[in-house]
Formats: sequence, C-alpha cells, structure tokens
Amino acid sequence: MIHALLVDDDADLRTLMAGYLQQYGMRVTVLPDGASLRRTLPTGQPGATDPFDVLLLDVMLPDANGLDLCRWVRTSYPLPVIMLTAQGDPASRIVGLELGADDYLPKPFEPRELVARINAVLRRAGSVSARTPQSTEQTNAVVRFNGWVFDRLRRQLSSPQQVVLALSSAEFRLLSAFVDHPRRVLSRDRLLDLAHAPGVEITGRSIDLAVSRLRQKLDDPTLIRTVRGEGYSFEADLG
Amino acid sequence: MKNLLEDTLFKRLFLLMWVALVVSHLAGFLSVQQFLMPPDGMPRAGGMPPMPSLPPMDGPGGMGGGPPDGGPPDDSLFAHWLWLDYLVRGIVIGMAAWIGARWLSAPMRQLADASRTLGQSLGTNRPVPTLDEAQGTLEVRQTSEVFNAMSRRLHEQFGAQALLMAAISHDLRTPLSRLRLRLEHMEANAHTERSINDVREMDQLIASVLEMMQLNHETAAAPQRVDLRALVQSLADDLAEQGQAVTLQNAADADADANVDTEPAVVPGQPAALNRVVANLLSNALRYGGSAEISVQVQAGQAQVLIDDRGPGIPADQLEAVFQPFYRVDTSRSKQTGGTGLGLYIARDLAHRHGGQLTLANREGGGLRAALVLPLKEAPGTGAA
Repeated sequence: MIHALLVDDDADLRTLMAGYLQQYGMRVTVLPDGASLRRTLPTGQPGATDPFDVLLLDVMLPDANGLDLCRWVRTSYPLPVIMLTAQGDPASRIVGLELGADDYLPKPFEPRELVARINAVLRRAGSVSARTPQSTEQTNAVVRFNGWVFDRLRRQLSSPQQVVLALSSAEFRLLSAFVDHPRRVLSRDRLLDLAHAPGVEITGRSIDLAVSRLRQKLDDPTLIRTVRGEGYSFEADLG
Repeated sequence: MKNLLEDTLFKRLFLLMWVALVVSHLAGFLSVQQFLMPPDGMPRAGGMPPMPSLPPMDGPGGMGGGPPDGGPPDDSLFAHWLWLDYLVRGIVIGMAAWIGARWLSAPMRQLADASRTLGQSLGTNRPVPTLDEAQGTLEVRQTSEVFNAMSRRLHEQFGAQALLMAAISHDLRTPLSRLRLRLEHMEANAHTERSINDVREMDQLIASVLEMMQLNHETAAAPQRVDLRALVQSLADDLAEQGQAVTLQNAADADADANVDTEPAVVPGQPAALNRVVANLLSNALRYGGSAEISVQVQAGQAQVLIDDRGPGIPADQLEAVFQPFYRVDTSRSKQTGGTGLGLYIARDLAHRHGGQLTLANREGGGLRAALVLPLKEAPGTGAA
C-alpha cells in the first residue's frame, strides 16, 4: 500500500485529496505547513515503522516557500516529490524540476492524473535501486558541447552564434539520448529504446529522419557519425 | 525679476524671429555693398546707398524719388542688387528658420518618442520612459513633469492590474480544485459530467489569461535570436508525430545532405512567445480546416510565416474582429469548435511585441491564410548562420 505524504494549507482540499487517494488504496498522511513537514519527515524514512513513499507538496504554503522545501527534501531524503503548482506558472515548474522535484501537477488537476503521476513517479523511483539523496545539481540540466548549449529543461538548443533553435519532441529525445552516451556507437534499436516516448510510435525510419534533422540543425556533419551497419555515434566532448 | 529672465518658448521664438530678420537685413545689405557697389559709389553726400528694399533716402542732394548720383546707374545693375539682396536674406532667414524649427520642435519629437515608448512598455517589465525635467523652456519642463507623473501612474496601475489578475487566478485554483474533487465523490451522472466540463472550461480560461500575462512579462526580457525555420519545422514535426496533417513547404529534403539555398530566417525575440504564436495559428488551421500548410519566406528584411488551410475561412467583415479577445465567429460558442477565444488576440499581441504583424485573409478556392511578418534585425558584427 502506497503511503503518501500530502502538504497543503487548505483543510478541505487535504480532506478531499486524502479521500480520493484512499479510493485507490493509498494511505495518506496530511500536513498543513512547512514546519510540520520538517518535523514529520524524519519520522517516515525507509526503515521506520511507517515510511512515506511519495511527497505531494504544494508550492504555496503559508510559512515557507514550496520550492525551498523541495530543495531541502531532495538533499536530505530519498523521497520522490510531486509539486502541486499554480496554474499558468511555468517559472515555478521549471525551478521545481531544477530543484529536483520528480514531477509537477498544476492545480486544479484532473484527479486521475494525480494518481497516474504518483504511480509513474514510484515506478521510476523503483527502477533506481538504493535511491540516494540527490545533490542540488540536477543531472545535466544544461549540456554544452562544441560551443552549443543544450538546455534540457527548456528543450532549447542554442548555436555558438547564440541563435536559438527549437527542437521537435523526436529531436529532443534523440539529442538527449546522444548526450547521455557520447562517443559511443548506438544502434538503431538502442536509440529506439532510449528515445522512446509514451504513446508515440517511432520506427527506425523516424530515427533516421530525426538524425537527419538534427544534423541539419547542428550544421556540422562530423557531430553525428554514421557507422555503417551499426548505428550512429555522437562525436562531441561535453563540457 | 526671475520671471523676466525665465527661459520660455515665447521668448525663444521672439528672439529667434527678431534676430533672424535683423541679421538677414544686415547680411543682405553688406553683401550687396561688398559685391555689387562700384568702389566709387560709396561716399555719397551724407546718405547710404539706396537699398532696393528700403525707400530711397533723402540726402543733401535732395534725391527725392529719383536715383541719386552714383546710385544704380541702370536697370540691370539695380536688378542684380535686388536679386543678391533677396538671395542673401532668403538664405539667412531660411537657415534661421531651419535651426529654429529643429530647436523648438525637438521637445515635441522627444515627447512623441517618449509617448510611443510608454505605450510599448506598459504592462511589461520594461522601465517607463522619462523626460528630463530640468531641460528646455518653461513650457517644455512643465510638460515633462506632467508626462513623467502620468507615466509613473500608468505604470503603477498596470502593475497593480497584473498583480490582481495573478492573485485572482492563484486564489481561484484552490476552490476549483476542491470543486473538482467533490465532483469525483458524487455519483456520476449527466450533471456531474457537465459540471466537470465547466470546471475544465474555467481552468482553461484562467490558463489562457495567465499565459498571456506570462508571455507579456517574458517579451520584456532581452531578446534572443530565434531561428524561425527551425521553430516552424519543429512544431510541424511534433504535430505530424501526433497524426495531424501538417505539411511544411520549401522544406529541405530530409534525405539530402546539401543545405537548401535559402536565406536564414533569424529574428530577435522570445522563443516561447514565437512558439506560442505559430502554435496558435497551426492549431486554428487544424481545428477549422483539418489540415495546414506552412512556409517561411524571407524578403526585404522581413521573415514571413504563412499558414494556409482549406477550412471555411472567415467572413470578410469579421477578418479584423476575430482578433478581439473572446470573439467567436460562431456565436453559439460551441465547445466543439473549442478554444477560449484568446488565441488570435494573444498571437497578434505577441507579434506586435516583436515588431511584427499578423493578418488573416481568405484564400482563393476556399480556406484561410494567416500571415505572420517579423522584422529581421541582424545584430552588427555577427555573420549570418
């Protein structure tokens, strides 16, 4: 049974959310503010009698900045965090992800979406064995190579001449796969795996197409090397 | 006494005209004297040589109405005096008028520039323009003071408005969340279904308005250089991946290695905002037309993005009205045709903030063409990509 820790300053909302999640077989502990979170979190660590599995954290709390709390949690505890943000507030979303939140959900949300995100986050967390607290540096949010700047959070690519080039989802996924495995030959199948996105059908041909688009944008034919019969290799040094 | 010494527009004008006229007369007289008067024509009995513009002087010789001795001996020389005198005076007065007009109209130009900048900076984070209250004539200083005060007031008002909207939406999200969750607890029926749709609609409205404010806020930041072709191609690819019928024209053939010889379309602006404009237009084309063709052209220092569809188009008399916020072509506001009615309003506003334009026109053979025009401004010292 999933044990969720919910922090929100609105009493009715706490009750309603807890009730809803309980319908899905989850156990919910509710807290009203940052101070109580700081007191309670240490008691729910893995190994305790009743550890927490996921934290649902509202971004606007009366006594603390939700983003600061998120940073604090991520540096101290191996607990997945879903931030409940404000509608239309991309800044807090981006900052939240930079600070290590696993996901975000703007209010008001579709209740089923909340359940889906909790499950997704726990699936991802489970696949990382012996989850350790993250340092405040998010893994490679911004990657530089050969004068190019690849901002993974904003999904933006900037050329050495500081021209911003937009990336399609396919190109973004492909480039992410490349920068995660530089100077290694990746077969089409491997790339299909790495560049996979839920609900999207990608084929070997779409990989080729995305490679061609990326090559055009990067304007340097040597950056993505075709290895005949094997696949592609990203020939750049990350810095 | 201080009032008498004050620098006013009246005094400046008065002084300028007076000085201009006197100097012009003097210059005309001196030049005729220097260049055209015969050297022995100078010493005249007691009188000055006659100026063509002045009445003939009475000298001891009793010249009366007739030409004096040594005066203009014949008509052609007299004519030369006349022309030179008028020419010189014309030039001097012309110069004085030109200097004077620039001098006096400079404050007006500054006021016009400041007012235009004010219009652009309201509602964004840019600093408001101010005029120098210590410089210029009394009238100009007074105008500067009034302008600065108005500018500050407007800036505060807009800031307050923006804060108010942000606060309202923030405060709305909690009751909306509660409402949404309560609806889940009720037994599903036609009423709960519709109520859930209502909650979603309210949510969409808030999102549109907030997004607009967010984009306004962002366009105030320093512009980046955005590759329009890459932007258009990425959006088209994303939509194609979702199964939408979007075709990109003039696209470089995906399998060709050679770069298509087209001019780069790099415009100054905010990537997120420009993305929003093109995405709005594409989504409209797909929603009303089922398919979209998009192309990017560069000509005469401008980049043009054209989005064509074969939908029903828009009645000619509503082609401008559709840009109004919440305007719908079909007055039934049916949810099937979707959207919040803010898409075009936001798109055009963003286009303007980028120094560009957005227009709609019906196509021959049916359908709509949306034309987004943006200025290219190559920063000095950087080469084209």
